[in-house]
Amino acid sequence: MAGPLAGRRVVDVSIMAAGPWIGSLLGELGADVIKIEPPAGDGTRWVEPLQRGMGTNYMCLNVNKRSVVLDLKAEEGRNAALELLRSADVFIQNFRGGVIDRLGLGYDVLHSLNPQLVYCSVSGFGEEGPLANEACADFIMQAYSGFARLNGCPGDEFEAFRFTGFIDLTTSIVAVEAVLAALLDRDKAGKGQKVEVSMLKSAMEMQSTRMAELLGADEEPGPRGSNSPNLMPDGAYQALDGEIFLTVHNDRQWKGFCAALEQADLADDSRFASNALRLSNGDVLDAILTPIFAARPMIWWMRALERAGVPCALAQNFETLRYHSQVRDNGMIAEIDTQEWGRVLVGGLPWHFSKTPGMILPPPVPGGATESVLDELRRRSPADFQEVGGS
Amino acid sequence: MSVDTLLKGVRIIELADGVAGPMASCRLGDLAADVIKIEEGEGDWMRRSPPFLKDGRTSAVFYALNRGKRSLRLVGEPQDARILQTLLARSDILITDRSDTDLARLGLDEALSDKGNPKLIVARISAYGASGPLAGKAGSELCAQAMAGYTRYLGSAMQPSVRLGADVAGVSTAIFTTQAVLAALIERGRSGRGQRIDLSLLNSLLAMKTVHLAAQSDPDSFEGPRVGGAYDPPESGWATADAPVTFAFGGAVGANGRPGWTSFVKAVGLQYLLDDPRFDKNGRSTTGLGPKARELKGEYEKSFRRMPASEVVAQVRRFGGFASAYLTHRQLMAEPQARVAEVVVDAGGPADVLDFPAHFSDSRPSPRGTLSALGQHNDEIVKQLGLETIEARAG
Repeated sequence: MAGPLAGRRVVDVSIMAAGPWIGSLLGELGADVIKIEPPAGDGTRWVEPLQRGMGTNYMCLNVNKRSVVLDLKAEEGRNAALELLRSADVFIQNFRGGVIDRLGLGYDVLHSLNPQLVYCSVSGFGEEGPLANEACADFIMQAYSGFARLNGCPGDEFEAFRFTGFIDLTTSIVAVEAVLAALLDRDKAGKGQKVEVSMLKSAMEMQSTRMAELLGADEEPGPRGSNSPNLMPDGAYQALDGEIFLTVHNDRQWKGFCAALEQADLADDSRFASNALRLSNGDVLDAILTPIFAARPMIWWMRALERAGVPCALAQNFETLRYHSQVRDNGMIAEIDTQEWGRVLVGGLPWHFSKTPGMILPPPVPGGATESVLDELRRRSPADFQEVGGS
Repeated sequence: MSVDTLLKGVRIIELADGVAGPMASCRLGDLAADVIKIEEGEGDWMRRSPPFLKDGRTSAVFYALNRGKRSLRLVGEPQDARILQTLLARSDILITDRSDTDLARLGLDEALSDKGNPKLIVARISAYGASGPLAGKAGSELCAQAMAGYTRYLGSAMQPSVRLGADVAGVSTAIFTTQAVLAALIERGRSGRGQRIDLSLLNSLLAMKTVHLAAQSDPDSFEGPRVGGAYDPPESGWATADAPVTFAFGGAVGANGRPGWTSFVKAVGLQYLLDDPRFDKNGRSTTGLGPKARELKGEYEKSFRRMPASEVVAQVRRFGGFASAYLTHRQLMAEPQARVAEVVVDAGGPADVLDFPAHFSDSRPSPRGTLSALGQHNDEIVKQLGLETIEARAG
């Protein structure tokens, strides 16, 4: 099940969330990922909730890695890291500004050690500017970037998104995109480079469509409940027994929608003849739709809208979605058996490659690969390793 | 120094509407790929989605996601299939959100089979995945959010659902698609062959939910706060004299909590919290989230309500914690940090655009600001392919 990055090696000294998931995704793509953890341990080991004593964040954000515990502040540990990096393809770090240079693993050092290396550096606000050295976290960036300002009922000021570390993970996927671009360039041009990713610009990337309202139309984007600024109808409607979620993208779906609701005159109503008109007359349209939906159960509406080709769904929770055959048939949730902490569920592969599929491997026991990796270094280049180790 | 040549010479065919496909090819275009957007009839539905640019008719979102591409409009003639087949034979990448049925209708089944261009990389985007009972079912941003359980982590129990305001399904799928295409190009560099990659909105949202899935793996064996769903009130920060803020002294927790917290509460006149047993190790650190945050919120606000948000943020940062006010997007754009980080760039088009989200030491992605009219490049592309022009056919 080799992935597209089979044969590539990643050395990852990042901790917590936004950094570590980068290495996991590269691992899912087939790279051999070595996580270098400090003796004190990655803090996510203790972030609750825990499962059988191990932080579930640590488990899901470190799949597809081997773990080596090294003290980068000590010469021996740093030399081992440098030896690993001499032949690595990708390096990942997310320390606060200046720390990585003090550890002797700055870009200039590693670039001269291994000119082919793609050096990925993750920060909160960017590596320059007044906030360059401020620490950051998911919910801080939800506040700073305006991400929270897009959520809530109409008229609310904002609402943060709970539980998922969404901006951390957004930063990771942006970083993977950039690392892959640099690797592709490296394969062509023969030279690695530094790739800088910040939580700030990643959070903005996730808000691309809403930022277009401000940049393109000079309108401040804000919360709209379950509705979107771009389409109408596009929201959650209260049926007799629960909510039905639906979206009408185009005139074909609008006609289907009116047919499903058995409202022929709605389809001919000039106030609703285009998406733009439906949006500007949204309140009028909702006043018509609300009693119609309230009169029948949500499954009725599901069937009717499905038959008419209108996108529709019911909200799911963990118990319904984990057993949903759509989720299972497409491997969207992976059940991973760990040696020490039992079975853990993680997100499945986000891409399904037909020829080089890749796979999800369990998270490592911290330090579990320290000896084998150090042995490999000694075997591979005993002279070099001695030299580095003794200098 | 290699300048904006990351994907020079790579041709991408985009046959996709909305957010995911168009945004993926837009960002690949920023890396210097040649992108041809193919539309049928009246084109991508996003063209008709408000709000509009100053010209009053160009969709702001459509512009943001489709700048820098060439435009080919299919006119519903038999020649369409030949144009598409010839294009795919001479391209590197196809990004499409069309179903098997639609692709067959366009005459592409053979071009996308093993008999087609062996080097072609095909990224197929669907709402709910390529297999399973819902394969081929029409979807949307909102439906994917609801299906993935995202609407449970916003809003209040028993109240109307709230969506995530950012188009998280579309954008995360765009980013995963970009990754898939780049990884497949890297692999093709070794093997010489292309391949097909399947992506979906639902799949992307579940991948992005890995933290929450792991937290719920085995509800009988975990320790820590429950993270189930919508019973928590909305997360709305701590009130100050003006704008609300969020803050924490979290991270690696020492035996006594973060030392910065102790200095911080003294500095903001809350030193009595040092003797409050509710502010144990966790209460001193995990201020940002969880049930403890809500229980202890009022204590902090007694002090915070006497200061503007800027002062609360400065005090937290002064003692090594992290903090931010909940900024609006206009406020963010006015921040010196946003300017230094080049969040937004002038790409020479009718509106500023978000810069490529990563900075490279040697390469320079360059967002292209021009937006093509629907069908603007029909003749140019058809001529390039050595086929009859559309006028010639019409005549």
